[in-house]
Amino acid sequence: MLSAQSKEMEQLKPVLQQLERHEKLLVIQFLATELARQEEVLLVPNASYPVWSPLEAYGASDALLNLLANPQTETNG
Amino acid sequence: MDNVFRVPFSNVVNHLGETGILPLLPLQLNYREKSLEVSARLDTGAMVNVLPWSVGLELGAVWENQAISLKLSGNLSNLEARALLVAASIGDFPPVQLAFAWTKADNVPILLGMTNFFMEFDVCVFRSQSFFDVRPKGRQ
Repeated sequence: MLSAQSKEMEQLKPVLQQLERHEKLLVIQFLATELARQEEVLLVPNASYPVWSPLEAYGASDALLNLLANPQTETNG
Repeated sequence: MDNVFRVPFSNVVNHLGETGILPLLPLQLNYREKSLEVSARLDTGAMVNVLPWSVGLELGAVWENQAISLKLSGNLSNLEARALLVAASIGDFPPVQLAFAWTKADNVPILLGMTNFFMEFDVCVFRSQSFFDVRPKGRQ
């Protein structure tokens, strides 16, 4: 015996099957977004996200460490 | 004085209107006569601390006076950055000197990275409980 939710899904299937290809893709995108929201994931398909972290700035790291060891070199003059 | 400064994760909304929570650390930055209360993002992926352009200006730093140019990576790689030493106070802990890469970018958060925030403070993140603990290095 099907649960109420399963019945609703069964009713949805023929509706979804009649959708155009691009509409089906929109449904997929909508569901992926919903899943991401439910799981508190801040990533959504087709969105762009800036990555500000200077991940491999080893030279900058060395320069700052040298500055901390020799703070008098910080400014000009 | 407590050895641990416990901070709850902050609720944030991104540029797409989506919500989430992040480890944002409230701290006070002091540079010469100026003082500023800010919120900075803990970033274990960042090799260095990053200070946005406008925050450096608010602190009274003068770009032309900073002698050391830095080369950053990622989204910040195309913008100039210079080294800036700033005193930072966190919780009740004694102030420490943080070395920042002061970037000309303004749409970047204040980042606390490996050099030298994570050299000065030990941090334990409890994401499942939505808080993190900060303690000065060497304290138990």
